[in-house]
Amino acid sequence: MRNAWQYTLLAGLCLTVGCKKTAPATTAPTTKSSTTKPASTQGEASTLLKGGRVMTATGVIIERGDVLITGDRIAAVGVGIAAPAGAKVIDVAGKTVTPGIIDTHSHMGVYPSPGLKAHADGNEATEPNTAYVRSADGFWPQDPQIDYARAGGVTTCQILPGSANLIGGRSVTIKLYPNLRSVADARFEGAPDGLKMACGENPKRVYGEKSGPQTRMGNVAGYRKAFQSAVEYRRKQQKYKQGLEEWEKNGKGKVKDRPDPPDRDLGLETLAGVLDGKILVHNHCYRADEMSLMLEVAAEFGFKIRSFHHAVEAYKIADRLARAETASSVWADWWGFKAEAYDAVRENAALLTAAGARAIIHSDSPVGIQRLNQEAGKAMYAGRRAGIEISEDQALRWITQNPAWALGIDSQTGTLEPGKLADVVVWSGNPFSIYTHAEQVWIDGEVVFEHGVTQPRTDFSVGLADGDIEAGSRARGGQQ
Amino acid sequence: MTRTYKLYAHLLAGCLAATMAAEVVAAPPVPRPQTPPAVGSVYIVGGELHVGDGTVVKNATIEVRNGRIRSVAAGGAAPANAQTINATGKWITPGLIAADTGLGLTEIELEPSTRDDSLHTEDPIHAAYDAASAINSRSSAIQVHAIDGITTAAVAPSGGLISGQVAWIDLVYGDDAGMVAKAGVAVDAALGQAYGGSRAATLDKLTDVLDEARKFPQRKQAHDRGQSRKLAADFRDLEALGPLLRGQAVLTLACDRASDIRAAIALAKRFGIKLVVVGGAEAWRVAPELAQAKIPVVVQPTNNLPRSFDRIGARSDLATVLQKAGVEVVIGRPGDVHNIHNLTQEAGVAVAHGLTWEQALSAVTRNVAQAYGMDKDYGTVATGKVANIVIWDGDPFELSSAPTQVLIRGQAIPMVSRQTLLRDRYRDLSRFRP
Repeated sequence: MRNAWQYTLLAGLCLTVGCKKTAPATTAPTTKSSTTKPASTQGEASTLLKGGRVMTATGVIIERGDVLITGDRIAAVGVGIAAPAGAKVIDVAGKTVTPGIIDTHSHMGVYPSPGLKAHADGNEATEPNTAYVRSADGFWPQDPQIDYARAGGVTTCQILPGSANLIGGRSVTIKLYPNLRSVADARFEGAPDGLKMACGENPKRVYGEKSGPQTRMGNVAGYRKAFQSAVEYRRKQQKYKQGLEEWEKNGKGKVKDRPDPPDRDLGLETLAGVLDGKILVHNHCYRADEMSLMLEVAAEFGFKIRSFHHAVEAYKIADRLARAETASSVWADWWGFKAEAYDAVRENAALLTAAGARAIIHSDSPVGIQRLNQEAGKAMYAGRRAGIEISEDQALRWITQNPAWALGIDSQTGTLEPGKLADVVVWSGNPFSIYTHAEQVWIDGEVVFEHGVTQPRTDFSVGLADGDIEAGSRARGGQQ
Repeated sequence: MTRTYKLYAHLLAGCLAATMAAEVVAAPPVPRPQTPPAVGSVYIVGGELHVGDGTVVKNATIEVRNGRIRSVAAGGAAPANAQTINATGKWITPGLIAADTGLGLTEIELEPSTRDDSLHTEDPIHAAYDAASAINSRSSAIQVHAIDGITTAAVAPSGGLISGQVAWIDLVYGDDAGMVAKAGVAVDAALGQAYGGSRAATLDKLTDVLDEARKFPQRKQAHDRGQSRKLAADFRDLEALGPLLRGQAVLTLACDRASDIRAAIALAKRFGIKLVVVGGAEAWRVAPELAQAKIPVVVQPTNNLPRSFDRIGARSDLATVLQKAGVEVVIGRPGDVHNIHNLTQEAGVAVAHGLTWEQALSAVTRNVAQAYGMDKDYGTVATGKVANIVIWDGDPFELSSAPTQVLIRGQAIPMVSRQTLLRDRYRDLSRFRP
């Protein structure tokens, strides 16, 4: 008997043996990204998805409605929308149309399949604070897991560093475009970077017999020390900027009076970005007491925690999370694999929603990410069975609008509204049914997956997936 | 062979209330001593029974007595004044059976002090390691799964090349003495690189040990006199393989790569042992051979990724491909402890990928019992079998459905778990500081 759970734990905590700290990159970490949209929305081609059940994730479900996609955007959502001249019309009667699914927590590309040692690039477990690393720099775009996630209706996800470190580094938000050659091809244009932080068992287990921290006391001391340094770093930066402004205002006097810039520190620059509100904190944290503590630490240093992740005990402090406007990225039912995951309840997301807090269903798993719709369904029905009223629209928001907010991209995606990016899924039926599959997945107005037709593959699968070699040179699409 | 079942359910209700609900303000005290169990029959009436063998009985009347199913009939009626459970409008299935789990052996995976699933020795052969006596009937996971319709589990140890003896249990909370229905239903082992860091060495070692075990009865006296050469394994492990070699237990063997599965088939043939392939990511490449040798495969439909080079051929429709080739399919979550309840989701995913609904039900009930040689007493709702029965409020595989009542060994279990109690404790936050 093998232990399936090990995969999931390792995904979060895989430690690479002999992994050396790399020299600081010469280029600066930046939230600015290159444009990677698939080309060719020339002439603003339009497609009308006609006559489906349209779940907008804005509180509105249209039982028989239409969605008009023009170029890379949603042009209209409603009833009886007339197709513009030349528009392609797709009859989606009997099907359901939703926004593309968004996962706040993935390690695809940094813990790919197969789980080779050579590809374990998600935890820079060399010191407890590695704010200077970026998951983008470890991302392997040929991870076949990306294809499976896309086939499950996922259009956007956050690639996080693992949870070995108190401060694990910057995350990157990507769109699940096919045919990637580098992480830049996948970046969600304009999405802010995130910062991965981790509470509890993982950091103290990883460093307990090394440099420390050894305890939760040490963990919290580590966050406070890091952010105190960031406060001082930012003060120096601000002082320099002020001095420079004054020098420039005074007509740029003598060159020797020009203030010297302080040394740049990439880790502190990241933490300063958090203090400035430009980088969003994603905090792996299970227990209610620890989440409460972290809210206090954040308040002390003047930053916000955008989302707790895993947050198995969030239901115990749903009121506090609502007041703090901190989201909770939770599972439908994972529990028990470690002590801090022991107090799980199936109604976690429902209880959060009922308390006015922002709930998200996340995966942290290349298996779970393939059916986040089902995971949201499980959580919705668990709530309903316990007498907590959760609408289908609310449950859909757990995997669309709410994660979009947590990633700071909710003005761009996460709902079916005119003006938003056309990240859309057409489902064969109700997305909360076990028997439903994604029929079409759209990203930026392009069909990137079509059930049984368009099934893009990363390089890894080529020649290994069944039939490639047997078929000779004939390309095959089957990936399942 | 099964033990005489004791009717402990009323006791269990007391145990649950005493140990779990201590914090629930309104929990009523449980009367002690408990009244003896009812000896009369209980009738489940009016539901649509999915027997587990592909047949359906509409408006079924199921008579349960002394922990067994006494009769199953279409239509029919309970005698006047009989104790009945009204299942009108509900679905009825056999209790779901979890193949190859660590349930009861592990409370928290990352806490070694809560784990008894593995024998920690240098020797990779743990055939005599019988985890049955270590199973914790008060593990929080027992009720978590039982109220979701899992009534029975094949509890397997882990680690090493041969991990040990598999126990067949009913999920009777608190019944340390009685929950194990049969110990040693299977010997659990793993191919791949379980020994010597090489699949060749692993296969060699397993062959060696089985060969030695086959010859050991003739050599036992010499061994006891100290006149034996060094054996391939400890003599207790060799003896523990006796039932397997005599066809009284099965070998559950974890392997994924097609070449490993072929090697396993050859091994089973050579020693005349009953084999169950666990995992079997690439079993579809070997489907005709598996069908011909009547070797069941335990598959996990959601486990569809090429997570290692042994699983390059993993696919979501594995269950369907095997079924169509005539292989007996068992759907499971190998190695799982805490989310076994998602067996229904696994079955539904298999249906979404082409298995018929009734085939999927058989894959989590009858086929599991058959694979472990326990089908005389388990796996379908049929006269004479152990009364493990689940009444559902809808299609059991749908995410919207859940059991309304679960019967284990004929007793309606308390439909609470540590999870539901924690939920109720925190439903209203007003008694806590803001």
